[in-house]
Amino acid sequence: MAGAPAQWDVEVDVVSIGSGLGGLAAAIVAHDQGASCAVLEKASKLGGLSGFGGGEVFVPANEKMLELGLEDTREEGRQYYEFVSAGFHSEPHMSKLLETMHEAIAYYGEKAGVAWKACQGLPDYYYPDAPGSKKSGRYLSVDLFDGTSLGEWQAHTWLTPIMPPGALHEEMYEWGGLAKVTEWDYELLGQRIAEDKRTFGPGLMGFFVKAAILDRGIPAYTETPVQELVTDANGDVIGVRARRGGEGEGKDFFVKARKGVILAVGGYDHNKDMATMFEEMEDWNGVFPAYLDGDHMVMGPEIGAAIASVPNTNLALFYGYQIPGEEVDGRPLWRSSWEGGCPHAIWVNKAGERFCDESFYKDYQPRIREWDGKKQEQPNTDIHLIFDGSYRDRYPLGSFMPGQPLPEGMVIVADSIRELAQRIEVDPDALERTIEHFNAGAEKGEDPDFGRGSMPWAIRLVGDPDYPNPLLGPLTKPPYHAVRLRPVSVGINSHGLRWNLDAQVEHVRGHAIGGFYTVGNSAALLDIGGGYQSGTSNSRAITWGYVAGRHAAAQPAR
Amino acid sequence: MPEVEYTTTAKLPVETIWEFVREMDNWATFVAGYESHEKASEDDSTWVLKGDVGVLARTVKFAVHVDEWAGPERVRFSLKGLNEPMEGSGTFLLSVHEEEGASPEPGAPRDGFFTRLFTAIARFFYGLVHGRAERAESADAGPGSGMSRLVFRLRVDPGGPMAPMVNAMMKPMMMPAAEGLANQIMATLEKRHGVE
Repeated sequence: MAGAPAQWDVEVDVVSIGSGLGGLAAAIVAHDQGASCAVLEKASKLGGLSGFGGGEVFVPANEKMLELGLEDTREEGRQYYEFVSAGFHSEPHMSKLLETMHEAIAYYGEKAGVAWKACQGLPDYYYPDAPGSKKSGRYLSVDLFDGTSLGEWQAHTWLTPIMPPGALHEEMYEWGGLAKVTEWDYELLGQRIAEDKRTFGPGLMGFFVKAAILDRGIPAYTETPVQELVTDANGDVIGVRARRGGEGEGKDFFVKARKGVILAVGGYDHNKDMATMFEEMEDWNGVFPAYLDGDHMVMGPEIGAAIASVPNTNLALFYGYQIPGEEVDGRPLWRSSWEGGCPHAIWVNKAGERFCDESFYKDYQPRIREWDGKKQEQPNTDIHLIFDGSYRDRYPLGSFMPGQPLPEGMVIVADSIRELAQRIEVDPDALERTIEHFNAGAEKGEDPDFGRGSMPWAIRLVGDPDYPNPLLGPLTKPPYHAVRLRPVSVGINSHGLRWNLDAQVEHVRGHAIGGFYTVGNSAALLDIGGGYQSGTSNSRAITWGYVAGRHAAAQPAR
Repeated sequence: MPEVEYTTTAKLPVETIWEFVREMDNWATFVAGYESHEKASEDDSTWVLKGDVGVLARTVKFAVHVDEWAGPERVRFSLKGLNEPMEGSGTFLLSVHEEEGASPEPGAPRDGFFTRLFTAIARFFYGLVHGRAERAESADAGPGSGMSRLVFRLRVDPGGPMAPMVNAMMKPMMMPAAEGLANQIMATLEKRHGVE
């Protein structure tokens, strides 16, 4: 930890470390409460993980869904959250999240101009089985955001390569979902791209960046990685030491935070040591840019902050692949793979066997970590996507449409299952048996082993409505294809800093550390517990950012 | 179908520019996102470029065929994506820059072959890695003896169902890439020949 410098470079009341949803939500509300603010961002662009993702915000009984006549209650929302948590949440934290969430959403809608929309047609993950689950409307997203309104920040805010540019959530589903991607309205998307109309994460963060940086004039310092927290004699945080000016050439940049520092830097996907230790996976790959490298888990403990965790079993881990030549920010891009849930496709492990419902990641995620105690290995970490010619005729692989050459070095193609098995070093007899068995069920629209086709959320996302079971079709038409898949994370990690109901970081001795807050994925998942539902990462970032910003702004200046 | 045209001038004879441009090895690395190229013959080559469209960088391979060598005035070419569904064509025209406002022959194909190609591909799929040309606009020469004019024209037609979307991504990127390539060629020649 650093002591106070002789001269601060900048002095404000509240500093947000990180320009994602949590950091900007905190800065906006703190500003509105009369506090002066600054945002420090490690990357060259604003928006953080939130600007790179899907931008869904999961809010049960939200105002927009009720306006559409979709029924829901907050009590049902609580039941659902408790089901997802599986008992691993802190009751006070979950209660405050659920009690404050609607207020925060309304605040940013009214005060920051965020154009919320309820996404119709996408069920909760666990609908209809989970208590309190709903078929439609709980995912908030934003309407089209005009990127040109960002002025000089237009080119310095994150866009995302992992979501279709220009499409709104509900349009994606109205157009038939991912299985019908060849039939989407690309004329409309092209027009929106030309006009820089943003959707998904970039749209969501467009609203927040505009509200914070342009409308309120909060200064944002990009390419300014914070190195450590500055504390006073009491151990309270009074500022930060960052670096500006480029790697190897930079200078210390001290920013005083008279009322509070909001640490909102996401998780640690790109810190291999942390990921291996905390996630108990040797092979850990991150979809999002490399800035998610665990700064919070260094700067916090360095001043005595406690770490807390939830079970890592079923948060947000997927399988994915890299397309040769694709890069983001100078690094190969990992894409999560949804293809295995489509008809005419399966996943097999090293034994040549299926091991999960490929269409529903909450089913397959715990199986990724499965451990073979006799062989001392995790058999499902290194797997293959297998699909046949019928798949290739109908569906894309990533952005490679039917008829388009598949990327060299990524896809293995063979005329027979046996030959394919040999080329991917899987027992040919086992793979033939697996596909024969799968086909027998798929021909009847059944998956007796793993129940593929039983989850409405998965059907909505990747199902092909032309099939009796939208997620099942046999693999019978050559050529056969194989793509190697590896585990990929989307930044929802099991460990984070421990915090109290005001979003203050707690010391290992149990007390709150003065002037120190954490929100978003840097904050341990105490409020949602041992499971994950898409959109809760954003809803908790907004809610706790709102809580932290208000609390910090109300503190006496140090 | 994004299409761009870029014109620049220099205080150099047409023949000097032609001698430089006709050999792709001279300027290949000026192409935004250049990774490699391979000449199969005088008329055919394959290119690998890397650049970014928005946030994503991607490798694009394409085959280029010269349909017409008409030196020192014109090159006309066509291109075809090898790993992306696209086709295109371009021209590169060199002429003596005689008077202000003079324009190239209407309808005459112009050189721009390389420039266009590079531009389109690079900008289209990769974005300008090298940024705009270092050569300032003021470096353009006015009309007069020994002055030459370069005109580049490139058209790229993405294919497949996503073509309208790809079009929109390509369009804003093509002109800067065309400028970058053309101006780097001219800047190199001017430096080599001591033109101020």
